[in-house]
Amino acid sequence: MVERVSRSHPECSKPTVCGPWASPLKFFESPNMPPRLGNPDLGLGVGLRTVHFNHILSEWPAVDWFEIISENFLNSQGRPRYVLDQIAERYPIVMHGVSLSIGSTDPLNFEYLKKLALLARQVQARWISDHVCWTGVAGRNTHDLLPVPLNEESLAHMVERVRVVQSVLERPLVLENPSSYLTFADSTMPEWEFLSQLADQANCGLLLDVNNVYVSSVNHDFDPVEYIERVPHDRVVQYHLAGHTNCGTHCIDTHDGAVIDAVWELYERARRLTGGVSTLLEWDANIPEFPVVHAEVQKAKQFFDASTSLKAPGRSSASGTAESLPSSRGPWPARGAVSNPLAFIVAGDA
Amino acid sequence: MSETRHTLDELQRWMQAVVTHPRGVALGIESDQAQEQIDLVPEQAERIVARSRALSALERLNIYNQAYFARLLECLRHEYSVLAAALGEELFDAFAVGYLESHPSTSYTLGSLGADFPEHLAATRPARETRTGDSTDWPEFMIDLARLERAVNEVFDGPGVEGQPLLDLARLVAIWPQHWPATCLVCAPCLRVVKLQFPVNEYFTAVRLGRTAPVPQPELEFVAVTRRDYRVLRYALDLPQYELLCALIAGEPVGTAIARAAAVSHSADEVLATQLHGWFQDWTANGFFRDVHNCPRRSSCL
Repeated sequence: MVERVSRSHPECSKPTVCGPWASPLKFFESPNMPPRLGNPDLGLGVGLRTVHFNHILSEWPAVDWFEIISENFLNSQGRPRYVLDQIAERYPIVMHGVSLSIGSTDPLNFEYLKKLALLARQVQARWISDHVCWTGVAGRNTHDLLPVPLNEESLAHMVERVRVVQSVLERPLVLENPSSYLTFADSTMPEWEFLSQLADQANCGLLLDVNNVYVSSVNHDFDPVEYIERVPHDRVVQYHLAGHTNCGTHCIDTHDGAVIDAVWELYERARRLTGGVSTLLEWDANIPEFPVVHAEVQKAKQFFDASTSLKAPGRSSASGTAESLPSSRGPWPARGAVSNPLAFIVAGDA
Repeated sequence: MSETRHTLDELQRWMQAVVTHPRGVALGIESDQAQEQIDLVPEQAERIVARSRALSALERLNIYNQAYFARLLECLRHEYSVLAAALGEELFDAFAVGYLESHPSTSYTLGSLGADFPEHLAATRPARETRTGDSTDWPEFMIDLARLERAVNEVFDGPGVEGQPLLDLARLVAIWPQHWPATCLVCAPCLRVVKLQFPVNEYFTAVRLGRTAPVPQPELEFVAVTRRDYRVLRYALDLPQYELLCALIAGEPVGTAIARAAAVSHSADEVLATQLHGWFQDWTANGFFRDVHNCPRRSSCL
């Protein structure tokens, strides 16, 4: 069993920046940050999932890049890691984590961070991302992406921890806006502002999950267009796209279907503001054959032309995926829908 | 803004207690763990969690509560898919929820989530004398199935021998007979041996292949689990083979391991010697061993 080593820096009685971590590396402090923090636009990528291993190894599809769930490979010494090594020889890899728990009040897990850094070196990861969330406290991991109160205390806490993580990883961290299903009475700012201040103060990148913006806008009654327009566009290193489930009273980030039109509209709007940014499709439940997933992300190509109208005719949409901005709530309740921030590997997977 | 600000740590500990409570968020709010952080009743939840236009604070917390169990149960069902098929989803989930309550994840990886599930089942099984009106040993069958399934999963993604040199049969044959007793075999790190009260190996194979299989009658079974070329392989063993491999995996010298096998073998010495020759040949060919060397002198070898 892998033990969670939760320890603060030896000089620290609580998780804080002290000792050598108190001096951020100079390259994080550059006042003239290039777009995407200098990261390349990798094009259109797909989340690597075990059900597609055999297809990828036999067909070597023309995908621009793959994103892996970091935790599925940190300890792997079996076929998953073997497959990843094969794929990393041929495609750019980005590491996307679900257990950094950057918002938790637990100490950072330095053993985990060291493993992240090692895997990043081994697969030559272009960047490492995780979520603006916490996953557990008091030594536990709920394996969910739990929201933080959006206020100054949370912000200061996260800024400090992002700096430490970036020092350990020796590279900027890229943080994603998660889908969330509740907000706190103690919140004092909108999420886009929290993200903006976090990215600015910690000098980190953003992974803008457009589907999550949409899902949270429905759940928290905010304007997704304002969100897209207000996040700091030069810090957006990557986009996420995915399907979700509309439960009538709220949306769940299920990653189980095609991207709906309203999310494509947000993506188009965001892309006009950021320019070309690496874009990835996540599909984690009811996963279809690889060509279907690949074809879905390829739909983003129609938005590469900046002159494309927001109401461009001929845009393809999968059946049952039409929702319009601002959020319309479908009449179809989906009992048992579960957010799907992770994919899990066990024996018997392809 | 709420009337009283709570620290981030208080909010997180409170929320975790609420959304991981197995009997729902209202009881979660009333639980000692939640009350230690924030003293309020369920009706006051909106002091902490804002309501949306459509959902109350309790309904919003409930989304996380349901997702917590749904997600982790799905992982356990996946990891123990054969056991889940044997028990049916409802019964499996009942055991799994109990396990999650007593063994919440403390790891960054879900690969560890089910590690203690077999031992949890063993520790919580009802005593045989309390199972009135039930003469079967189905708890033991279930525990055996879980043990075998966990071993298979560990071997699948654990350390292996792919790309590494294995013990060549010629090296084994070249060892002088008088050197055998003090020789140690380095076993492949993926090699496991499992002792089972029920012959679940065939049952396991049948369910994995999507076939129905009857629950077998109790009978001791021994299985070796290993991996070659990233494929998990299972080998049926008899008791002497099991004892022999147990000793070798534990690092015992061949002489000690053979003595353990001989102690439980019903074969004549000459027959056992022939059997041993064949076993070592087969196991070497199957990649059970990585290397051979003289054992360091230690008390267990004497």
